Amino acid sequence: MKKLIMGNHAVSFGVMLSRVDVIAAYPITPQTQVVELLSEMCADKKINTRFLKVESEHSAMASCIGASTAGARTFTATSSQGLLLMHELLHWAAGARLPIVMANVNRALGPAWNIWTEETDSLAQRDTGWIQMYCESNQEILDTVFQAYKIAEKTLLPLMLAYDGFYLSHTLEPVDIPDQKTVDSFLPGYEPQIKVDVDNPNAFGSIAYPEHYMEMRYLIKKAMDGVRDVAVKVNDEFRDIFKRGYGIIEKYKTEDARVLLITTGTAASTTRIVIDNLRKRGNKIGMIRIKMFRPFPSQEIRDAVRGYDKIAVIDRNMSFGVGGIFAQEIRAALSGYSNMPVVFEFIAGLGGRDITPNTIEEITKYTLNHERGEEGGIWAGLKI
Amino acid sequence: MIDSRPVSYKKVSDMPEMPAAFNSISWNKTGTWRYIKPRYQDKLAPCREGCPAGEDIEKYIELIKEERYVEAYMLIMEENPFPSVCGRVCYHPCEDNCNRRNFDREVSINSLERLVADFARTTKKGEAFLAKERQANVRNKMKRKVAIVGSGPAGLTCAFHLARIGYNVTVYEALSEIGGILAVGIPDYRLPKDILKWEINQILSLGVEVKTNLKIGKDIEFEKIRRGHDCVFLATGAHKNRKLGIPGDDLPGVYSGLDFLRRVNTGQRVELGEFVAVIGGGNTAIDVARSALRLKKKVKILYRRTKNEMPANEEEISEAEREGAILEFLAAPVRVIEENGRIIGMECVRMRLGNVDSGGRRTPVPVKESNFIIEADNIITATGEETDFSYLPEDIRINEGAVEIDMVGATSINGVFAGGDIIDQPRTVVHAIGSGKRGAIAIDCFIKGKNPLAFMEDIELGSKGSVSMRCYTDGAGDNEKNRTIVGFENINLDYFEVSERGRMPYVSVKNRLKGFKEVKLGLSREIALRDAERCFSCGSCTCCDNCYIFCPDISVLRKEGEEGYIFDYDHCKGCGICAEECPRYVISMEEEER
Amino acid sequence: MGGIKDLKKTEIEHMHPGHFACQGCGAPLAMRYVIRALGKRTVVVIPAGCFSVIQSPFPYSTMKVPVVHCAFETAASTASGIRAALDMNGNGDVHVLAWAGDGATFDIGLQALSGAAERNENIIYGCYDNEAYMNTGIQRSSATPYGAWTTTTPERQFKDSPKKNIIEILAGHKIPYAATASVAYPEDLARKAEKARDMKGTRFLHILAPCPPGWRSSTEKTIKIARLATLTKVFPLYEVINGEEYIINVQPKKIPVSEYFKHQMRFRHLKEEEIKDIQKRVDYEWERLLNRSMMEGFNNK
Repeated sequence: MKKLIMGNHAVSFGVMLSRVDVIAAYPITPQTQVVELLSEMCADKKINTRFLKVESEHSAMASCIGASTAGARTFTATSSQGLLLMHELLHWAAGARLPIVMANVNRALGPAWNIWTEETDSLAQRDTGWIQMYCESNQEILDTVFQAYKIAEKTLLPLMLAYDGFYLSHTLEPVDIPDQKTVDSFLPGYEPQIKVDVDNPNAFGSIAYPEHYMEMRYLIKKAMDGVRDVAVKVNDEFRDIFKRGYGIIEKYKTEDARVLLITTGTAASTTRIVIDNLRKRGNKIGMIRIKMFRPFPSQEIRDAVRGYDKIAVIDRNMSFGVGGIFAQEIRAALSGYSNMPVVFEFIAGLGGRDITPNTIEEITKYTLNHERGEEGGIWAGLKI
Repeated sequence: MIDSRPVSYKKVSDMPEMPAAFNSISWNKTGTWRYIKPRYQDKLAPCREGCPAGEDIEKYIELIKEERYVEAYMLIMEENPFPSVCGRVCYHPCEDNCNRRNFDREVSINSLERLVADFARTTKKGEAFLAKERQANVRNKMKRKVAIVGSGPAGLTCAFHLARIGYNVTVYEALSEIGGILAVGIPDYRLPKDILKWEINQILSLGVEVKTNLKIGKDIEFEKIRRGHDCVFLATGAHKNRKLGIPGDDLPGVYSGLDFLRRVNTGQRVELGEFVAVIGGGNTAIDVARSALRLKKKVKILYRRTKNEMPANEEEISEAEREGAILEFLAAPVRVIEENGRIIGMECVRMRLGNVDSGGRRTPVPVKESNFIIEADNIITATGEETDFSYLPEDIRINEGAVEIDMVGATSINGVFAGGDIIDQPRTVVHAIGSGKRGAIAIDCFIKGKNPLAFMEDIELGSKGSVSMRCYTDGAGDNEKNRTIVGFENINLDYFEVSERGRMPYVSVKNRLKGFKEVKLGLSREIALRDAERCFSCGSCTCCDNCYIFCPDISVLRKEGEEGYIFDYDHCKGCGICAEECPRYVISMEEEER
Repeated sequence: MGGIKDLKKTEIEHMHPGHFACQGCGAPLAMRYVIRALGKRTVVVIPAGCFSVIQSPFPYSTMKVPVVHCAFETAASTASGIRAALDMNGNGDVHVLAWAGDGATFDIGLQALSGAAERNENIIYGCYDNEAYMNTGIQRSSATPYGAWTTTTPERQFKDSPKKNIIEILAGHKIPYAATASVAYPEDLARKAEKARDMKGTRFLHILAPCPPGWRSSTEKTIKIARLATLTKVFPLYEVINGEEYIINVQPKKIPVSEYFKHQMRFRHLKEEEIKDIQKRVDYEWERLLNRSMMEGFNNK
C-alpha cells in the first residue's frame, strides 16, 4: 500500500511491522515523529509493544539492552546529542552482542545548537561495534528497518540506520508499505539462544580477566566480518519477496566515468541529478553511494574504484584533526593496493547547509581540474 | 547451574557467542583466605562450676523451658540426690556465679531446682524414675560392700552414688532419725520433714540399708565395721556443742543450739522462758532464733561482729529480722546472771572490729567498760559445732579438727574415706553432697584398682572443686568444655532484654509464726518458665540460628537430620561474625594452622 | 532470643558460597535474605560496584538465578527494559531485582532510578549501602555520612555534607513501597523483601551493609555495628507506603552515637564537639521521622 509519509513515520511503520516487543525512547528534534506515531500505534493496539518513555537517551539504550538481554526484539531512535549521550552504552550493546536496532536521524552537534542535518553524530560512533546503514529515501528507510532486524539477529550485533534530518525525516515521499503477512514471511520472530531464563540461569556480562577478554572481542570481530555476507544474503532474500533491494554500496553510472563521486544520504540524490546534467553536457561522471558504513565495505570500494584516475569523496561530516570520515576510511581501504585512484576529499553541508547541485558541480570541476586535492579536505561552499 | 569445577576455555570456538557465564563458583575454596577459624565448642556455664554438687544447671534449665520437668529431675539426680532439699536450703552459690547477675538479676536457679523436685514428687514421676533405676541395678549388682558412717547429706549422697554403681551399701546412723543435720538441724519451716523423708526414701529405694540407733565407737567397734566392708566412708558431721566459756555457761537453761533444734525437729517439748538470747551468727543461730520465735518467745541474737560478717545466709538473716528477732551486733556475752538458780539475764560487752585475722575477717576486740545487761530467761549457744573423732583409730591423721584427706577423700587409713563437715571444707549442705560424690568415686576407684587422679581431668568441672558423676560413669567428659568457663564478657547482650526476676512468694509473717509450716511457697509454673527463659544458656548451643543466619558466606550449614550446625571450612573466610553473634560463647575462634 | 525461626520457611539458598566478598562483608548477607524471599524466579540486575566483583568473574556466577551486569548508572533503566521484555514474553511473574550499591543509586544512577520510580516501573530496587564507593577504593559518595573519613575526604577535611536521604527522595515520587533495612535485622529484612515481592510497582529497599575495610572496623563486628546504627537512631528502620504513610519498625534505645562510632575507625578523628553536633542532628531527624509517622496516607483519609 503506497502512502505519502515522512521518513520518521517510515521508521514507525517499519518498527510496527517488524513486531518489535519493547521500545524505549526519549524525544529529540528531529526524531520526535518516530516516537509520536509509535505511541499512537501502541495506544491503538496496532502493535503489541511495551513502550518505555524513559527519562534520557542513556536510559533508553540501557532499557533496550536490558530488554534485548531478556529476549525481546527492541528498538530505539535518537539523534545527535542523544546519540552521543548513549555512547558508553553503544559499546556495551555491541559487547553484549545484542541485536538492538536504532534509527538515528542525522543532526549536527552543538555548540552551537543546530537541529539540521549532518552525519558526524552517527559516524562518531564508528568504533562502537554497531553495524551502520545510511539511507537515501523514505522507502529505503522503511525497507532497511526490516533488513536491519534480520541482519542484527543473525550476527548478534546491534544496528543503527541513519538518515538525514529534515531532508528525509520530515519530507513526505511516497512509500510502499507492505502488509504484515509479507513482512512476516521475510522476518521471523526473534529466538535468542542465550537470554535471561530462570530455568537456565546465567550471569551476563561479568568481569572477564585478560585470559578471556581478548577472545570475547575476537568473537565480535568475527561477527562483524561476517556482516557483509549476511547483509548481501538478506538483501537478496528481501529482493525476492519485495522486488526491490539496495546492497551495501550502490553504483550509479560508473562504467565510463572519468571521476567517481562518493557520498551517502540525501546528498546522493542531488548527486544523481548533477551527474545526469553533467553527462548531458558531455562530462562522464559517476557516483558510488555507500549504504553500509560499518563494517566498512573495503573490498567493494576497492573493486568499484580500481582503475579510475580520481575519486571525490563528499563528506557531510568532519573529524577534526584528520578530515572527512568517509574519506579516511576510503583512503585506508585503498592504501597499499595498486591501480587505485587519487582521492579528493570534500567537506560539504555541515549543520544543514544545503548541498546544492551547484556545490556538487563545483566539486566535480575542481576534481577534474586538479592533480590532487588538499590534505584534510576542501570545505565546499565555505564563506571565506 | 550444577557444574562446580574450574572451567578453562582452550579455544575461541569453545566460548559462548555472548558474554554469558553458566558455571557455579562454589568450587572456589575461599576457605584459603582464613587466618582464624571458628569451631563449635560447648563451654562450662559458671553456675555449674560454682555448684559444689556439680549439677548440670544449664541443661536442666533448658529442659524446664520445654516443660520437661521429669527429665530435669533425672538430670539433677545424676549428680545430686537432694534436689528437694537443696531447692529449699542451699545457699545457692550457683546464683552468685550466674552471668545474668551482671546484666539485671541472676536466674532463680534455686527456686527452679525446687520446682523440678516438687513436680517429681507430687506427680509421683520421681519414684517411677528411680524404680527403673532400681531394676537396672539388679543387673549390675556387685558382691562388694561399703559402709557409710552417718546418714547426713554427705553419707547419703555417697550411698546413693555407690548404690547406683552396684555396690551393697550399709549406712550406720547413731540417731533414730535419718538425715543428719537435714533431719535434726534444719527446722520444718525451711525444710518440711515429710519432703525430706520422701527424698531420703528415694535414695534408700535403690537398695541402701540404714541401721539407726547404732553409734560407732559405742554400740559397735569401728574396726568391726572396717573389717566387714571393702571400704568405709566417714560422714559423721560436726555435732558437738562448743561451750561459751563464761561464768554460768553450765547453768540449767543454757542450751546448745544443736540440742535445741534436735528437740524441736523431733517434736519434743522445750522449756523456754519469755526472753531467749541466742549467741552466734551462723545459720544454726538463725535457725534457733526463728524456731524460738515460732514458740512465741521474744528473741535477741547476739553476734560479736557486724551484719556484714555474719556467716548466715543473707536471706535467713533478713527473714529473722522480719519475723521479729532483734539483732544485737558487736556484742559478746561475759557472764550469765542468775537468781536462785534461774537465769534472769546476761552481762555483755561491746566489741569493736580490730585487725584482720588469718581468716580474713576483722578480730572483734572488747571495748573496755562498755558492759551492759540484757534480759534473758534462756541462753542458746550456736557459736560453732565441733567434730568428734573419738571413735576412730589413733593413726587417723587429723588437722585442726578435720580429717586429712587427699583430693577425692581418702584418709590416711587405707580403704577409709571421709566427707561432709568432718573434712576441711565450707560447712554447707551442698558441699557435703559434693564430698559424698567425690567419696563414691574414690571408693569405686579404690575397689576396682583405678587411680582416681587419672580421671580428674575428665570429671572436673572448672577449677572450684566440683566433679561430675555423669562424666565418671561415662568414662569421659568434654575436657575442653569443662575447663573453659563462660564469663560475662563472653555473652552477647544484644540478644537479651532486661527483665524482672521471678519473685518467690512467702507466707505472711503473721501466718508464719503460728507454727512451723514452710515459709516459701515456691514459684508457680508460669513464673518459673519466665525465669527459666532468662537463662543465657552460657556455653551451650540452643540452636538459635544466629550463626546460620549471619554468615555472609553461607558457610554455616544445618546438620542433616539432627539439631545443630557444622562449618563449611572449604568456604569459611574466618570473618568471626558467627562467634561474635553467638549470644552464649559456643563458637571459639582459633588460629588457622597452615 | 536471637534466631529467626520463620526464615526456615525457605531453606533453599539462591547463592553459592565461594564468592569474592571481603571477610565480614554485609552485602552478600543482604542479598542472601532478599533473594531467599524473592525465590528462584528472579532476575538480578547488577551495575558496577562491589557486587560486580562479589558475583564472580566470567565464566562463573555466585547467584543461582539469572544475572545481568550493566553499566554503573543504568541499574534502574536496564531493569526497566528487562521488566518490559519479560512482560512481553509471558514471564510477567518473574521478579526483576536491581541490586545496586550506594554509588550507583544515590549518585550516578539517581537519574535512572528517578525515571523508573516516576514511571512506577514494576521492579524491586535493592540498594546495599556501604556508604562510599568501596569497590574503587573507599571514595566518598553522597551516601557517606557526615563526619566520615574516606580516601577523598581525609580526616583533616572529612565529609562535611549530610548523607542524602534516598527514602525521602523516593517518597517524593510516591512509589508504592520504600523501606530501610539492615543486615543486623534479618527477620525485618526478609519480611520487607517478602512484602515488596507481593506488591506491584517500584519497590525500594535501602539496606545498610557495613564494610570492614571501608569503615575501618573489625570483620566480626559487622552485625553489631549495623545493629548499633539502628539502635542509636543513626539508621532508623522504617517503611513508607505510597510516599505518605510512615511505619517505624524498630524502637531505638537510649544509646549515644558515640557508641556507634567507637567500633569504626573512620570516625575516630571526630572531636567531642563534633560528635555532640552529630548527636543533635540525629535526635532531630528522629523527631522529624516520628512526626511524619503520625500522619495518615492520602488513600486512608
